[in-house]
Amino acid sequence: MTRQRVKVQRRNESFVQRTVTRIWQEQASAENPYITESCRCHGYDLLELMSGRSYVDVLYLLFRGELPGKNESMLLEALMIAMINPGPRHPATRAAMNAGVGKTDPVHILPIALTVMGGSHLGAGQVEVAMRFLRKHRDADPDQLASDLLKHPMPAEEEDWRLAPGFGRRFADAECLSGKIARQLAALPGSGAGLRWGCAFADALAAQRLGWLNTGVVAAALVDLGFYPRDGAGVFQLLSAPGLLAHGMELANKPVTAMPYVDDEHYVIEKR
Amino acid sequence: MLSKNGKRDTGFWDAQRGVIHHSNGGWLAGKGVFCHGYDMLEDLVGKASYFQVLMLNVLGHLPERRLADWLEAAYICMSWPDPRIWCNQIGALGGSARTSAIAASVAGALAADSSMYGGRTFLAGVDFIQCACAERDAGASAESIVAGELKRHRGKVKIMGFARPLASGDERIAALEDVATRLGFRVGRHLQLAYDIEAILQRDFDESMNICGYVSAFLSDHGYKAEELYRLSVLCVTSGVTACYIDTLEKPPDAFLPLRCDDIEYRGQAPRELP
Repeated sequence: MTRQRVKVQRRNESFVQRTVTRIWQEQASAENPYITESCRCHGYDLLELMSGRSYVDVLYLLFRGELPGKNESMLLEALMIAMINPGPRHPATRAAMNAGVGKTDPVHILPIALTVMGGSHLGAGQVEVAMRFLRKHRDADPDQLASDLLKHPMPAEEEDWRLAPGFGRRFADAECLSGKIARQLAALPGSGAGLRWGCAFADALAAQRLGWLNTGVVAAALVDLGFYPRDGAGVFQLLSAPGLLAHGMELANKPVTAMPYVDDEHYVIEKR
Repeated sequence: MLSKNGKRDTGFWDAQRGVIHHSNGGWLAGKGVFCHGYDMLEDLVGKASYFQVLMLNVLGHLPERRLADWLEAAYICMSWPDPRIWCNQIGALGGSARTSAIAASVAGALAADSSMYGGRTFLAGVDFIQCACAERDAGASAESIVAGELKRHRGKVKIMGFARPLASGDERIAALEDVATRLGFRVGRHLQLAYDIEAILQRDFDESMNICGYVSAFLSDHGYKAEELYRLSVLCVTSGVTACYIDTLEKPPDAFLPLRCDDIEYRGQAPRELP
């Protein structure tokens, strides 16, 4: 070998002495500096928030730093209900169900499902990029952009077609329900340019059997609510968590035979 | 496309329902366990090393034993039981919080899916050295390749595989070089270019190659693609994470780097009343 051995030396990087947060303040008890006497979220006392505001408001507060107005709160709550369950056919839900029926420790069911929910196909991995797409194009002419993007070659029928992040087709068709959810959210007073532009863009794609995907709907609503794109992936996982857990726990209480197991006749080992 | 009955043609998906078409292998009860064309129990158990089978499952072919041994040595280099390392600290926190060993270990492994350290860095590391090698084949010099990278990053050494967080220099490379020599491997064109680039960075910036750069160049010389190397590295940090988990598990809960309330510095809104 021709390489001279290199001396290893620590860099003099300057690390902070204490972690800094703008979100949460814990006040220690007078007797014990490790015990929390009270805490505040962006300045509001937690116990007062418990009695005076909804869970949705405090979720918004955590990420935005201010309490939402009535319209923002209504939009976020409607979004949370819309995304509360990806449904039993979603890969992440199926992962939860497999963990449940496989007698995985229940504490692992949600992390397992949320990991799968992090994928870029119908999952959180697509939300940040969809938010950036919407923020970039929400002032553009949706018909013109659709027309320009549709000039690209169309993939084979069975392939995913993501014409743009958050927009595309599944199983050769547009997702009907995603479009309905988007239109219902766009009709709320808290909606903004993201949802409205997205609806117009989806309309421009409809003739090609393309439209909103749930990832795009979430992205548009979060853009309108003022969330940062980097928050989008995790917030989407958070919104889908209740349904994932519920389906996993439903199967956790059943025997291993409660889900199909592909028999050898239907398991085909193909040669490469 | 609509079928004759006016419904959408979903034939592709209909053909997949209830059937798994799999090219890797599987267990057929009474017939055997098959793995990429091998009978696992007859051909592999006791005959191939664990790392050969790991590589078989990632690559689809069984590599020569010495290459698997080299990868095993690289794995040892990429995981050590120091809980200050980010992924290892997650393992330690898992022990402190009394999670299971698997939960803490996979949480740490997941943390290493990072653009700063761990297996994901190989994607950019391989991409860089293979593109650089193609440039050199087209006539570029190592000097011009480095100059181009510096220009792209406004004069800073931001080349994946060179320089390293926390320290300059990387003692693991010498250890792996010794293993490579012992196993009879020679320096290929990717690794030679990596050495040439390192010499320039050492001369001008006192920076050197890191383990990502060495492994990326070494395995590029063996024909591996970036995604293959990433897949080969999925559990590369795990043993150190598990070690850090065990250490804190065997101590009282909350004994690992305990934080007083004022150990977190709050710089947010002053106390305020609900509107």
